[in-house]
Amino acid sequence: MTQAPMVFVVDDDPSVRSSLKFLMTSVGLQVESFDSADALLKRKLPDAPSCLVLDVRLRGLSGLDFQRELAARHCHMPIIFITGHGDIPMSVRAMKAGAVEFLTKPFRDQDLLDAVRIALEKDRERREREKEVSDVKERFNSLTPREQEVISMVVSGMLNKQIADQLGTAENTVKVHRSRAMEKMHAQSVAELVKMIDKLESSVRP
Amino acid sequence: MTAEAQGVGRSTEPIDLQALIETIPALVVCALADGSAEFANRAWHEYTGCSSPELTGWGWHAAIHPDDLPKFIQEWTVATAAGKPFETEARIRRADSEYQWFAIKKALAVSRDQVGEPSLRALIACEDIHERKQAQARIQQSEQRWQTAFENSAIGIMMRDRVDRFLAANRAFRNMLGYTESELYQLCQLDVTYEGDREFNLELIGELWEGKRQHFQIEKRYRRKDGTLVWVRNNVTLVPGTGAVAPFLLTIVEDITERKKEESERRYIEQRYGVMVETASDAVVCIDESGAILLANPATTKVFGYDPTDLIGQPLTMLMPEYLRKLHEDGFRRYSATGQRHINWQGTELVGVRKNGQEFPVEISFGELTKDGHRVFTGFIRDISERKQAQRAVQNAQAELARVSRLTTMGEFAASIAHEVNQPLTAVTNNASACLRLLARRKLDPEVLRSALEEIVTDGTRASAVIARIRAFIKKTPTERKHLDINDVIQEVLALARRELSDNRVLLELQLTKALPLVLADRVQLQQVLLNLIMNGIEAMTAVTDRRRTLWVQSQVDGAGDVLVAVRDSGSGLGSEGDHVFTAFFTTKPNGMGMGLPISRSLVESHGGRLMATPNSPHGAIFSFTLPAAAGRPT
Repeated sequence: MTQAPMVFVVDDDPSVRSSLKFLMTSVGLQVESFDSADALLKRKLPDAPSCLVLDVRLRGLSGLDFQRELAARHCHMPIIFITGHGDIPMSVRAMKAGAVEFLTKPFRDQDLLDAVRIALEKDRERREREKEVSDVKERFNSLTPREQEVISMVVSGMLNKQIADQLGTAENTVKVHRSRAMEKMHAQSVAELVKMIDKLESSVRP
Repeated sequence: MTAEAQGVGRSTEPIDLQALIETIPALVVCALADGSAEFANRAWHEYTGCSSPELTGWGWHAAIHPDDLPKFIQEWTVATAAGKPFETEARIRRADSEYQWFAIKKALAVSRDQVGEPSLRALIACEDIHERKQAQARIQQSEQRWQTAFENSAIGIMMRDRVDRFLAANRAFRNMLGYTESELYQLCQLDVTYEGDREFNLELIGELWEGKRQHFQIEKRYRRKDGTLVWVRNNVTLVPGTGAVAPFLLTIVEDITERKKEESERRYIEQRYGVMVETASDAVVCIDESGAILLANPATTKVFGYDPTDLIGQPLTMLMPEYLRKLHEDGFRRYSATGQRHINWQGTELVGVRKNGQEFPVEISFGELTKDGHRVFTGFIRDISERKQAQRAVQNAQAELARVSRLTTMGEFAASIAHEVNQPLTAVTNNASACLRLLARRKLDPEVLRSALEEIVTDGTRASAVIARIRAFIKKTPTERKHLDINDVIQEVLALARRELSDNRVLLELQLTKALPLVLADRVQLQQVLLNLIMNGIEAMTAVTDRRRTLWVQSQVDGAGDVLVAVRDSGSGLGSEGDHVFTAFFTTKPNGMGMGLPISRSLVESHGGRLMATPNSPHGAIFSFTLPAAAGRPT
C-alpha cells in the first residue's frame, strides 16, 4: 500500500540538479527533480514518505518563499536547504520554519544523504502519526453521541457513578456505554483510551 | 650830391647841367618845380628802357611800382609843400618789367635856360638799394624764424645775464614752471631753483663766467609757481658777447620728471627683484646666447650643490642629465634661429642633475631679456622632488582606496559569485561521490561513468571561467588603456549583476546603440564604475513595492560626440541628498563606505569623461557618464 520513499530536488542549475539526482539514485533513492518551485507545485504529491532538497536561490519563487508556501498548503514535507552562499540569518530563518538541514554547497555527499535519510524517516514518522490519528478519529466518529459523551467523561477522570449522576441515567447504563465504546475504540485499558483521545485533541488543536 | 650840385652851380661858371647829369651812374630825372619831367639821364633810359616821349610830364611816374606810387606821391606832395627834403624808397620797373628797390631823393638845382635865366629844377636821383633791401628782408625773416622757433620749441629754452636774471624764456620753459613771461622777468634763475640744488648749480655757473668751462649739464629741480618740483636736465652754454650784446647764458631745459620717476621705480623694482632673486628658494640662472651661465643665485647651491662661482661661464647643460643635453642644445639653437619655442616656457617639468650626480625632477620657467642687443635668458628652476613624492603618495593612496572600494563592491557580490562557483563544484562533488558509491558496490556502468566524468569536466571548466572573471576585479591590476566597445563592457558587467537583478526582482531594460565609437579606457575600471552604478540602482529599488522595479542601461553618442552610458532606476530617487552623492564617505547605506560614487567619478574623470546624477521621471535617478570617443578605430 505504502509507496517507496521519494526525494524531490528543486534547483535551477541543470548540472547541480542532474548531479544530485545521480548521487541519490546511486544509493537507491527515488529522485524527481524540478527547475523551479512552480513546477513541483504542479505535480501531485505521492502518498509516500518524501522530502525536498531545495536551493535557496531560485528563479521566480525563492526557496524560503516556497517553504512558506508549502506550509500554507499544509504540506509538511521535510525540507533540506542547499545554498551556494548561505548566511546565518538565512539559515536561522529556514531552520525555524522547520527545515531539516541547511547545507552549504559544495557539501559532503554523506551529509546530504544523512539529511535525506533523516528527513524521510521524519516524514515516515509523521505520516504514521497522522495515520494513527486518523484511525482514532475514524473510530471515535463511529461512536454514538451518548458513547462519545461517556468516553469524554471517562477520559477526564470521572467515575461511572458520577457520570450516571450527571447524565441522569443508571450506573449500569453508563457501564454498557463505556464497554461498547472501549471495544469500538480498540482500547484495552482506560490509559490507552486516554492516550488516543489526547492524540485526537492535539491534532485538532492548532 | 645835391649839395655838390648846388655848390658847383654857385661857384663855377655855368656848366651844362644836362651834360653833367648824363654822366651820373645813378638814375636821375630832372623835373620842373611842379614835378613834371624835363629829361632823364642815360642811366634812367637804359634801366627803364623808356623813350623820352614816355617820360614827358608825369609820365615818369609810370616807372614806379603801382603799390609804391600812392605813398610816393603823398610824400612828394607833403615834402614839396613843406619845402623839406624828400627821400623815400620805391620799386622802379626795369626794362625787362622786373621791379627793383631804389632809394629816391629829390634835390633842387638851378639851371639856366636858353636865355641864361636861372630857373629852379628838381633833380630826382634814384639809387639802387635792391640788394640791401633783400638782405634786410632776409635778416628780418631769419630773425622772425628764430624768434618763432625759440618761442614754440617743445624743449625749454631760456637766456639769462651775468646776474642770473632772465633775459628771455620760451613758452615751454614758462609752462614748465607755471610762470607768465612778465612774472619770470622779475626773477633770477636761482629764485626758481630748488633750494637743495642751488649751491652746486651756482658753482657751475661761476665756472662758466670764469671761463673754466664753455658749457655744463646739470640735472636739478625747479620749484614751480604752485610749489611743486619739476626735474630738469639743463644744458647751459656761455654765449660770448658781441659788440652790442653782452655775454649771456643760453640754457636748454628738458623736463625729466617722468624719466626720474621711471628711474626711481626701476631702481626700486631692480632692488626688489635683486632681493627676490637673492633670497628665492628656487634656483635662478641667467645664460647668454651661447648658453653659458652669466649669473646664479645662492639657492642654486641648495638645489644643485654647486657654488654659484663654480657655475659662471659654464654651459647650462652641466645642470642637466646627459640625455637631455643634446635635446636642450638643439632646442636652444632652434629657438635662437627661428624664435620657435619647442617647450612650454612656464612651468615645464624636466630633470636636473646635482653636483653629486643625483638626478631629480625640476620645474623650469624661462624668461628672455634683450640687453644692448644681446639676449639673456633666465631660468627659474624649482626642485619638485618632494612635490612629486607627495603626488605619488596621493596617487598610491587613491589607487589603494580604489582597490579597497573595489573589494567592498566585491564583498557585495561575494554572495552571487560564491554561488556561481559553488554550483559547478557541487555538481562535480556529487557526480564523483555517486561514482565512488556505485564503484564500491560494483554497480558502476562504464556509460554512466563516462557521462558523469563528462559532466565533471564541464563543471570544472565552468568554475574556472567564473574565477577568471572574478580575478580581474580583485587583482591589483595596473591600469591598461585599450580601445574598447563600451557595449562589451556593459554586457560583461551585466553578466555579473544578473543574479543581483533577479534576486531583487529588477527588470532590466537594455537600450544599447550599435556601432558606437570605441573608447580608450581601462576595462576593469569601467567595469567597476558600471557595477557600482548598477548596484546602486538595484539597491535604490529594494524598498519599492508599489511599482515595477526597472533598471535601464543605455548607451549612445551624445551631442558632443562622446560616448554616453546612462543607468536609470525607478527607485527612491536622489531626494534632498542629491548634492552629496559624490562626496566621499557620504552614504545612505548601513554598510556603505560612501566611496563608490566619488571613486567612480574620479575614475571617469581620469578617462577624460564626466559622471553626472540627475533625477529620473517620474521616479528614481539617472547616473550617466561620458567618455571621449577614441581618435581612431584600430584596424
